[in-house]
Amino acid sequence: MKFDLSILAKHIPFLLEGAWLTLQACTLAVVGSLALGLVVGAMRTSASPLLNRVAAVYIDIFRNIPFIVQLFFFYFGLPEIGIYIDAFTTGVVALSIAGGAFTSDVIRSGILAIDPGVIEAAQVSGLRKITIFRKIILPIALRASVRPLGSVFINLILTSSILSTITLNELTGSAKIVASNTFRPFEVYFVLLVAYAALTYAVSILIGMLHRYLNRHQEEGAV
Amino acid sequence: MRYGDFTPFDIILLLQGLGVSLALFVSTTLIGLVIGTAWAVVRFYRVPVLMQLVTFVAELLKNSPVLVQLFLVFFGLPAFLKINVTPTEAAVITLSGNSAAFIYVIAVSAIESVGRDQIEAARVFGLTRWQILRRVIAPQATAFAIGPLTGLLVNQLQVTSLISVIGVMDLTKVGNILNLRTLKPFIVWTAVGLVYYLTAKLVTYAGARFEKRLRAHTAWKGL
Repeated sequence: MKFDLSILAKHIPFLLEGAWLTLQACTLAVVGSLALGLVVGAMRTSASPLLNRVAAVYIDIFRNIPFIVQLFFFYFGLPEIGIYIDAFTTGVVALSIAGGAFTSDVIRSGILAIDPGVIEAAQVSGLRKITIFRKIILPIALRASVRPLGSVFINLILTSSILSTITLNELTGSAKIVASNTFRPFEVYFVLLVAYAALTYAVSILIGMLHRYLNRHQEEGAV
Repeated sequence: MRYGDFTPFDIILLLQGLGVSLALFVSTTLIGLVIGTAWAVVRFYRVPVLMQLVTFVAELLKNSPVLVQLFLVFFGLPAFLKINVTPTEAAVITLSGNSAAFIYVIAVSAIESVGRDQIEAARVFGLTRWQILRRVIAPQATAFAIGPLTGLLVNQLQVTSLISVIGVMDLTKVGNILNLRTLKPFIVWTAVGLVYYLTAKLVTYAGARFEKRLRAHTAWKGL
């Protein structure tokens, strides 16, 4: 069979619709996992043994169980306890919770990498705990962890393809429909592969730019 | 009559699923190790055309969802090349390729972790290229690579859950079947998640043990 991409031309709008849904889900999930990651990362580095333990258990569980199992747990389980939400919301929630585990680990290592002297200086200056966290710890930790956070988010984009298994027609889901309509699965999935690779490549370039922008003062001072 | 209750046989079913998951995990990891290391060696010797090709393929595999790769092999290849691909074959091909791409990255950095001066010293002593690779680089690179490799393997174990989507009877698929039969998603997916969790812990533990053994010669032994 010859490799013919032209048959895909009339399905492009449909695929773009799916890509739009992927983009929405990923954006929401990135925001959700960043928020969750900040809270859990702060808990993981707090002085309270209880908060620390709870955060550690959360990270451990969601990093060691396959995402598809977590997704099925939420998708099939939630209606059982009377919570009826659509596939999109379930997917975003599951992505955020799973992503939050990875994000909090990155933020934790960012916080731990801060020179203790900086925090001691802030404490001696009489700043309140919450102020130290918001104005001293977070900016330094976040600035240092832009790159690792970026790779977590790229992974999140790739993981979002699994949402197609709970009947959500995002990019992969709509490609599945196109493949079964055109009977040209090879072309469809090949294009999809390249599209995802291009998307994540673009995101990684953006992350690199953001990293350089946020760390611009460091570089000038270093030389 | 509906068999909606759990039976003792369900445990055997779960163990069977675990067996399939583990068998695919181990075999694709081994194949991935061989291919990934071979790619890294190609890069180490800077083989002209092959090196660029390997880098490109590895990037493409790393930056696209495994689910899409799986669909490309399982639905795309049979339609394109007019061959038969069983779900298990598709799973082995995809997971091996995917593992290889990530192992390649680890192997490259492991090889680079061995100092240039050591290689130059070995060359001065008149060792052949193969001897340098086998006696100088390999032992140190392996010890360096075990840490990241363990992390990767925990990840790859979770990736194997995706093959349930194309109908391989692995642990997740068994979970799906039990879920549909008993309609008790919380119990089923918790059990499946727990099995994955314990397996992942086992992989982490084994990796840590192995790393300790490889690094035994550098450990402080006391005077």
